Amino acid sequence: MLTYFAKRIALGLVTIWFIASATFFGMHAVPGDPLAGDKAMTAQIRANLEAKYGLDKPLGSQYLIYLGNIARGDFGISYTQENRRVNDIIREHFPISATLGILAIVFAGLGGVLWGALTALYRNRWPDVVIMFLVILGISVPSFVVAAISQWSLVGANLAAGTTILPIGGWGTVWHMLVPALVLGLSTMAYLTRLMRSSMLEVVSTDYIRTAKAKGLPATQIFSRHQLRNAILPVVTVLGPAIAGITTGGFVVEIVFAIPGLGRYFVQAIQQLDYTVIMGTTVFYGAFLVFMVILVDLVYGLIDPRVRVEK
Amino acid sequence: MSEPLLQVENLHVDFQTYGGVVQAVRGVSFDVIAGQTLAIVGESGCGKSVTVQSLMGLIPMPPGRIHQGSARLRGQDILVSKMIAGQDIRGSQISMIFQDPMTSLNPTMNVGSQIAETLEVHRGYSKSEAFARAIELLDMSKIPEAAKRAKQYPFEFSGGMLQRAMIAMAIACEPAILVADEPTTALDVTIQAQILDLLSDLQKETGMAIILITHDLGVVARMADEVMVMYAGQVVEKGSADDIFYRSGHPYTQGLRQAMPTNNKSTEAERTLESIDGSPPDLFNPPRGCAYHPRCPYSMQVCAKQVPSASKLGPSHQTQCWLHHDMAGPLPDGLVSVDGAAR
Repeated sequence: MLTYFAKRIALGLVTIWFIASATFFGMHAVPGDPLAGDKAMTAQIRANLEAKYGLDKPLGSQYLIYLGNIARGDFGISYTQENRRVNDIIREHFPISATLGILAIVFAGLGGVLWGALTALYRNRWPDVVIMFLVILGISVPSFVVAAISQWSLVGANLAAGTTILPIGGWGTVWHMLVPALVLGLSTMAYLTRLMRSSMLEVVSTDYIRTAKAKGLPATQIFSRHQLRNAILPVVTVLGPAIAGITTGGFVVEIVFAIPGLGRYFVQAIQQLDYTVIMGTTVFYGAFLVFMVILVDLVYGLIDPRVRVEK
Repeated sequence: MSEPLLQVENLHVDFQTYGGVVQAVRGVSFDVIAGQTLAIVGESGCGKSVTVQSLMGLIPMPPGRIHQGSARLRGQDILVSKMIAGQDIRGSQISMIFQDPMTSLNPTMNVGSQIAETLEVHRGYSKSEAFARAIELLDMSKIPEAAKRAKQYPFEFSGGMLQRAMIAMAIACEPAILVADEPTTALDVTIQAQILDLLSDLQKETGMAIILITHDLGVVARMADEVMVMYAGQVVEKGSADDIFYRSGHPYTQGLRQAMPTNNKSTEAERTLESIDGSPPDLFNPPRGCAYHPRCPYSMQVCAKQVPSASKLGPSHQTQCWLHHDMAGPLPDGLVSVDGAAR
């Protein structure tokens, strides 16, 4: 078990190295550089700046310097924001994205399992039909539309109530988080609902559920001890990538609701070719994804005994 | 004879499907006597499993429907309500083991807890008491190192072990009746014999009745006191094991016996393995008259028109076949007449 996870972590490090390398070379293949801003500068100034930042060195040695810095956990200083270290940007803004993301995942996970189980129990009856219609909607409507509509509804609700029920944007209290988290988790919730529904339907018709009935267990106990745990396995599997996806993909929601998360910096940096910020955020997000997948494997082992002893 | 433990009368079960109504069980009656083994035999799709599953309340409704008949356990109807004195009879009074032990246990729960669960629900045992008892039960079912095994999960067990665990689970609340639905079909032959021995041993110890569903006549010969032969959702013949094997009164029973391989190959007839021609009838639209008549070698005109009534061939031996009617001609070879002599 321990060796298995040691192996997983080693493989994860290789993955992160690969992400870092791919980002580095991809980034440098894009025309332009961080100095190609709107300010015109003379060749001499440019050469001086390049020398200062080490951009005049051959790509190979730049790469090695980067790897060395990353290995030490130093992502460098931003090219476009004065005197801001990338580590500080991540440290300041990632907790906000992570809080929002975790809340969204909690919504998505609980909602997905609940709605999925409900639709399976009411298969082909009206609750199933209604929820599955909403699920299709949730999957197909992009998050910026949902975000805008929900913000607009909030404005309407606040006006109608004559007071602020929930703030329409910004960050600070739990009340600021609720709606954005719900919007952010919506498509994942819809996806998990579908997954949960089909796995629930599969479990209901298995032999061991028949055995549980033949034992004379009450229906609630069959549901909680036999159906739910088995049906939830596929949901847990996709939860790892979903956590990373939600935490990193939240920038649209962050911008609509004016939340100072990391997503904004991630996107801005790419537009400005801010090498260090791109590298820093990408490698950080990559590592986060790898870590989440490993974590989910660990949780999976706790739920399903069959994967515990193997390997 | 003492009062039967379970009396099933005129049971009808059907299933509503898109293609129409499947009449799976059409008027089945039988008694189960305490401490005895009743074997229900017949080919696939003849309604054996549906009969017992309807007693256990395992038929999904809809599409299933029990539209006629009664089943009384010690005089109390168990078809309308599964409860007797506030307790679910399933798992406590009647318990069941299934054909495929590999899929019949919850893969994410350890074996001991799955056995303990029954005791917690029916007997109100605490978790630890129930688990301790589960270990004893595994031990009774002859699982070595029961204490260690109880903490393991189904995937760590072999098929035969799992069936033993299923049996341990089934006998946990000392049921009056154990229903075994093809308990050895998925197991290899040596394990089969061990499981059957275990069942007979437990029956001797606890005095429970066993309803054994099988299509293996070898298993019937070994285990059964009483045998009920089913065809197309109906009982065609029932009697003691000896009646069925040595004094069969129905052409279908005879056909089944001839389809059984034998080691004793003295005559030409015994060297060839006979099969019953044709295939079981479509239960969407069962044949009129006797359901077996399209395949019966001795079929008469009346067989296609009217359902035969039961003829009594012995104290507890009866069959439903027109050949035993007063107006029928002499009986074909090998069938037993009302007066008991094979002609």
